[in-house]
Amino acid sequence: MNVGNWRVDLEPRLTSPKWLYAAVPIGSLFCAFIVGGVFLAFTGHSPIGTFALLIDRGFTSTRGITNTLGTATPLICTGLAAAFAFRMNLFNIGEEGQMYLGMIGSAWAGIALAGYLPGFAAVPVVLLTGACTGALWVLVPAVLRAKMGTSEIVSTLLLNYVALNLVNYFIFGSRGFFRDPTTSFPQGRVIEASARLSSFGSTRTYPTVIIAVGLAVGLYWFMKRSNYGYETSVLADSPNTARYAGMNATKLTLSVLLFSGALAGLAGAMYVVGPAGKVDPGLLQVGFGYAGIVVAALARYNFMAVVLTAILFAGLREGGASLQISTNPVPISIAVVLQGAVLLFALGGEVFRRNRLRVRRVQQTVGA
Amino acid sequence: MSNASSEAALGSHRLGGATLFALSARHVTKRFPGVLANDHVDFDLLPGEVHTLLGENGAGKSTLASVLCGLYKPDEGAVLRNGTQIRLTSPRHGLQNGIAMVHQHFRLVDRFSVAENVVLGHRNLPFRLRTNDLENQVAEVAERFGLPLDPKASVGDLSAGQRQRVEIVKALYQGAEILLLDEPTALLAPPEVEKLFETVRAMTQAGKSVVFVSHKLGEVVDISDRVTVMRDGRVTGSVARGEADTRKLAELMVGRDIDLSPRRSRVAAQDTLLHLDNVGLTRDGVDHISQVSFSVRAGEIVGIAGVSGNGQRELAEIVAGLQAPTSGEILINGARVNGIGIRNVRKAGLAYVPEDRLGTGLAPSLSIVDNLVLTRKRGFFVDRKAALDEAEAFIKQLEIKTPHAHTATRKLSGGNSQKVLLAREIFAAGDNSRVLVVCSPTRGLDVGAVEAVHKLLDEARAAGKAILLISEDLDEVLTLADRVMVLYRGSVVHEALGSEVDVELVGLAMAGLS
Repeated sequence: MNVGNWRVDLEPRLTSPKWLYAAVPIGSLFCAFIVGGVFLAFTGHSPIGTFALLIDRGFTSTRGITNTLGTATPLICTGLAAAFAFRMNLFNIGEEGQMYLGMIGSAWAGIALAGYLPGFAAVPVVLLTGACTGALWVLVPAVLRAKMGTSEIVSTLLLNYVALNLVNYFIFGSRGFFRDPTTSFPQGRVIEASARLSSFGSTRTYPTVIIAVGLAVGLYWFMKRSNYGYETSVLADSPNTARYAGMNATKLTLSVLLFSGALAGLAGAMYVVGPAGKVDPGLLQVGFGYAGIVVAALARYNFMAVVLTAILFAGLREGGASLQISTNPVPISIAVVLQGAVLLFALGGEVFRRNRLRVRRVQQTVGA
Repeated sequence: MSNASSEAALGSHRLGGATLFALSARHVTKRFPGVLANDHVDFDLLPGEVHTLLGENGAGKSTLASVLCGLYKPDEGAVLRNGTQIRLTSPRHGLQNGIAMVHQHFRLVDRFSVAENVVLGHRNLPFRLRTNDLENQVAEVAERFGLPLDPKASVGDLSAGQRQRVEIVKALYQGAEILLLDEPTALLAPPEVEKLFETVRAMTQAGKSVVFVSHKLGEVVDISDRVTVMRDGRVTGSVARGEADTRKLAELMVGRDIDLSPRRSRVAAQDTLLHLDNVGLTRDGVDHISQVSFSVRAGEIVGIAGVSGNGQRELAEIVAGLQAPTSGEILINGARVNGIGIRNVRKAGLAYVPEDRLGTGLAPSLSIVDNLVLTRKRGFFVDRKAALDEAEAFIKQLEIKTPHAHTATRKLSGGNSQKVLLAREIFAAGDNSRVLVVCSPTRGLDVGAVEAVHKLLDEARAAGKAILLISEDLDEVLTLADRVMVLYRGSVVHEALGSEVDVELVGLAMAGLS
């Protein structure tokens, strides 16, 4: 590209120096805040003051960080679900729907099973049931993909709408098993008390956050060391090599998609044993499933990084929402703009990790 | 500085008068990120001359050709046409100066006819195209240079050799005086190569000049009036016909003495390890392999020659267990292995080096260590410690050039990644695997790497392996094989002992003319 007498080129880097892996995300974040700051300034808010408030309410205050961790918990799970499938080049877009099914499945277990279970087993059983129903929701797309090569992108995405309407039907459209029978107000039936976890003190952080972080660490380690992790990495890198080595691609594809669905289902189950305690249509509003894909992409499908990006994302969300309550209230849409800017710059920043920007002065050549 | 010197050089050639070069490069330098592709290269082409640019992959010969035809602009230096400096801005601009390049990968439209492809991109076409006139013109040009072509034929139906003829006719039709041919024989069968050489001679007789870009030593000596050898972006020598033999040229290319003489088994062949009995593969009513029978004994290499696409890939996959034959029997160590899957065939004692080394034999983004793990026995957890020791031993022993054992195999050169693959299949598989199927093991490799690969295969043979070598490179088969077979349309059409091969007969058999 030529700008006046200057020539601007992107040259591919042969190697990316280590410091760039840290510098690019930090630089991206910085640029995003500048763009957000322009928006703030235009709408009559002090950029610095607003950002300070945002960071305080999202990350540094006790109340802020505990709220953020509570929000991050299901987000870590959906982020792991997306990362697990995407790193295998299996584009499961259906975390949202699988999460709803996890909510439905775990609520069923919490209502129907938990009463017959000893206290210590109730929560694990409810969580596992949620994971299983999440996996079940991706079973059909997974089989179609593994056996016939049908695009899992379309099939998993479409099932999100089915799942959405299923939840609406259970709560608003019918007076069935999941609906609270004690009131005519449409809301979910509360699960057994033994199947619920209470939050830490008066915070909104639940013990499930430990499970979510533990899962990230466990997955990171397991996929690095196990034969399963090895075979999936070969298949992801080169299907022909996997075939050459006699690996069972069908089985691997199936298992990866099912486990991804289970992780997304677990996000819904954690919502049930934690804050919700029932099938709660409120989950339909927050979009943890889709956000999980973004979180995974930002983390470049690294399980450990998913934890960090999920917390960053949750913090921006919590902090952004609370900016509405201040002396000079900032509309929620500005917080959304900021989130979008963070995303764009983080993804765009990748270009600078892989390429080097080069600006040279060009001499005017006489046309031949 | 470089400008001044090129002007001086330019002047002297003008004054010289007698030797006016059709095309010259003066101190051409071209850089790519991390690579100095051409480092002050000088090159001269006489009118009516066949001049070969010889060099290994990455030596910079294709870069120089691209500079000469106008595809790349040199960072420094100048290109001279008939003694006058020209500044080419595009290949079209090059064509206006009578310079055309035929690329290794053809740039033709499959759905168009030969005549349509030839006139494609020609600026001075009449508004209304008279197909008949065009076809006659194209046929006339083709005829003049001994290039038999049907101008009405659809390019999609043509063989590689015929497509190449279309490219050449296209260049001639558009008025090319200088033709740059990039690896022109890579896709041709021996009789087609001979035809190409006839065309080249017809062109030089008409006063046109031809630049051959090649890394194949043998053919270069046959056709060239002069050979300019490049290594690491520099010219290492320029010799006229008869001044140097292949061995000398190889030394200029690689920078050290190279031994490419035939290698034959030095031990008497022992018991049969691999046996094929009437093996056939029919799919969708098409016979891909029909009634192939042969055996390979311990301590010998059986070579299968043939032009690409005559069933080599299918034969290899059948023996390796990736495809099941639809008829016949395959025995490894006397045990039937038909359709038992590649894992079990491996257990029965087979190692397999596929043609596509990066992408089938090796996982490109995975490290050397992880690629060695690929055919190892793995428990629930992967033991990378043993594989790491193995990788480091191989790197030392086979002189694999890599920063370390955790480097992704795609970052290695072709020769080095092939060494990793061969090491795994020959040594890492253990003594249990004694049958080795190797497909085109040196395709695209440098002369130095070819020598190393051939040495490895020769050593494996001496160690008592039974090796089936399937290669589209006839020279390779003739260099290594104790017995030679030719595969044509899925059948073995010719068979001979390696030491008594009649090259002419093999060439005819490859073209289906036996």
